Amino acid sequence: MKPIKQIYMLLFLSMIIAISYLFYSTKNIQTTLNNNVESIFIEGAKSFAYNIDAEIKKHIKSDPYRELKENPQLQNRMQHALSILADDTFKYIFVLYKDKHGNYRYLLDGSKDKAHFNQRLSVDKELWNKVYSQHTPLLIHQNQLDNLWLTYLLPVVLDNETKAIIAIDFSTALPNNIYTAIEPLNQIFIYIFVAIGLLIMILIYQSLLSIRIKKDSITDPLTLAYNRNYLRDFLKTTDIGKYQIMMIDIDHFKKVNDNYGHKAGDYILSSTAQIIQKEIREDDVFIRFGGEEFLVFIKKTNKDTQLAYAIAQRIRTKIEISQFSFESKDIRITLSIGIACQPEQFKNTSLAIKHADKMLYVAKREGRNQVISHINEDYKELETHKKSINDVKEALEEDRVICFYQAIYSTKTDQVIKYEALVRIEEKDGSITLPFEFLETIMYTNIYNDMTQCVLNRVFKEIKRIKMDISVNLNFSDILDNKIFNLIIDELESNKEFSSWLVIELLEYELLEEISIIQKRLLQIKEYGVKIAIDDFGSGYSNYSIFKQLPIDILKIDGSLIKDIDHSDTSYKITSSIVTLAQELGIKTVAEFVHSKAVLQSVKKLPIDEVQGFYLAKPSPNIL
Amino acid sequence: MRKFLFLLLLAPLLFSSDLRTEQKIYQLVIHSLVPKKELVKVWCDDDKKRKILNTLNGINSVDSAENADILLISKKENLQKKGMKFVTSYQLLEGKEIDILGGFFWQKGRPNILFLKNSLQKYNITLPESMQDYVEDEL
Repeated sequence: MKPIKQIYMLLFLSMIIAISYLFYSTKNIQTTLNNNVESIFIEGAKSFAYNIDAEIKKHIKSDPYRELKENPQLQNRMQHALSILADDTFKYIFVLYKDKHGNYRYLLDGSKDKAHFNQRLSVDKELWNKVYSQHTPLLIHQNQLDNLWLTYLLPVVLDNETKAIIAIDFSTALPNNIYTAIEPLNQIFIYIFVAIGLLIMILIYQSLLSIRIKKDSITDPLTLAYNRNYLRDFLKTTDIGKYQIMMIDIDHFKKVNDNYGHKAGDYILSSTAQIIQKEIREDDVFIRFGGEEFLVFIKKTNKDTQLAYAIAQRIRTKIEISQFSFESKDIRITLSIGIACQPEQFKNTSLAIKHADKMLYVAKREGRNQVISHINEDYKELETHKKSINDVKEALEEDRVICFYQAIYSTKTDQVIKYEALVRIEEKDGSITLPFEFLETIMYTNIYNDMTQCVLNRVFKEIKRIKMDISVNLNFSDILDNKIFNLIIDELESNKEFSSWLVIELLEYELLEEISIIQKRLLQIKEYGVKIAIDDFGSGYSNYSIFKQLPIDILKIDGSLIKDIDHSDTSYKITSSIVTLAQELGIKTVAEFVHSKAVLQSVKKLPIDEVQGFYLAKPSPNIL
Repeated sequence: MRKFLFLLLLAPLLFSSDLRTEQKIYQLVIHSLVPKKELVKVWCDDDKKRKILNTLNGINSVDSAENADILLISKKENLQKKGMKFVTSYQLLEGKEIDILGGFFWQKGRPNILFLKNSLQKYNITLPESMQDYVEDEL
């Protein structure tokens, strides 16, 4: 609880205590006042009763019933005396005797509704008999009767025997008057307590509402998983070392939206989330990370270090075998899952999540519908020299993303015929950072798109200046990515007259699973006169089918074959066969990694068109 | 519905202990005087008393004195009506009509019940033990 809330709570409690104390004090005053008034009137009643007793004893010797019956004049005189004493407070003043049957009957009655002599009156016999037998006065509180407050009884003792009882009834007028006087004060307290009660109810309602709003603010309404707001709080308050991190992505989710509509997409998202929720435990935390990506924090147990992997496999299998039916259309989906098993090994949680994201990326690259986790690597070392996204963003903003250019020579003329643009970051201290230190970090982020645009701008600027071919390196995934592809097309459109000097080098080890789209898009790019080169051909992923499927203009033979071509017969023969094939297909060849004169001479023995390497020219920030 | 509204209006009165006492006494007295009938028909000449009677179990307030099992009389002129009578004041008891079985009235703020022995004998009524204490030989 925040201090301000504690102060409010303290003030509120103090207020309630103060009001309760005031209420208690008022009640106490009321009781004291009642008691005092009661005692004043009791004393008055006693005085009257003793006077009546003295008057009776003055005129009656031993038997009140007989003597009063025989002397009606005495009866009338005494009754008159009693009636003088009766008023609004002492409502009834009368004298009763007990007959032989134990019933009480009138001897004298000073009240307005006068009863007959010897008329029977029903009284509380138990109490009256007590007065009769003990010869002592008694004060009775009349709780059962509406119009009587108190009754004072005084025995008339003659010859050591109670012969009659003098009764004085107090009307309820007096306590009613006191009650009426104090009632407004009581009502004020009632209103205050009702107001406090309402206030407490409102506070409870507000608290419940606040809890609900808070819950809504941290929950994704579609999937009912937690959202990024919750993630932020969770990461602030949780020791991430107690969890393994699972990054889940629905494969080809865009296709679901494109083919079946967004409602179907929403249905798939919520159904997938439901399945994931069922497969994880209560201690695990399930978050919608964005779009079709989910993040699950799996609470570690001491026994099982591969727990997240097992749960991920279970989720993946469950989704794979599930058939989702939306508007009588069956939809099947798969999941790719990346796991960070030891988040505590990372400098911070953000890096651990990023690692899970990288594992997810690997799962995607490896063909999707799989779970990838790394357990025993030294991730800290891996991350030490990497640039952060913010570093790259800052470099872009400060225009420190630059291109180095490496000359490519013709083997026939020994002249520079083109350049390869190589991206670099110029650090604030003037040092140069190479791509492997930042490209992986920004891959699949908007920063990567910005960097691609920046490189294309710089390259076109150079093309305009030198009017020579310049090649840029891209991935096949860049061609598949709608944003990057559109960006390339926009750049080509803006530089239409110079686009024929652009060469796009694509890394050949990329998985070509969506070859038809790539083929279509490369043809679209080539319409601007752009040449397509396959980079690092022969590096281990060579697939000759790409010659059939893609519109390739240039083949860049991998450096691992060229660098020892001068003394490795095998490298020479492999290179020779690649060059022969390329010649027959009408594709130009470039030998990379020419680092010595001997290598250059060996390369020149083969019909290779172009050469490139440190022996000939190192990458330089300027083209002369 | 009317009965419900009546009860609703009567509700504050029901908290009065005198009224509760009166209800209990009438319930007890009437069933003691007409013990053989589960539903006793009572004719009453006082509206307030009739309303109280209507709240009691096993007692039905009727409009015609001829159809009643017992008459609850508050007005002197109705003492002439034929049938068993139970009165609501001491003054009416003093008429010494043979058909008056007794009365219930308030005196000095206290509830008072009286049964007249001769009338009870005329109608061959034997009161329960708890009521014997209220039987008077004569006024």
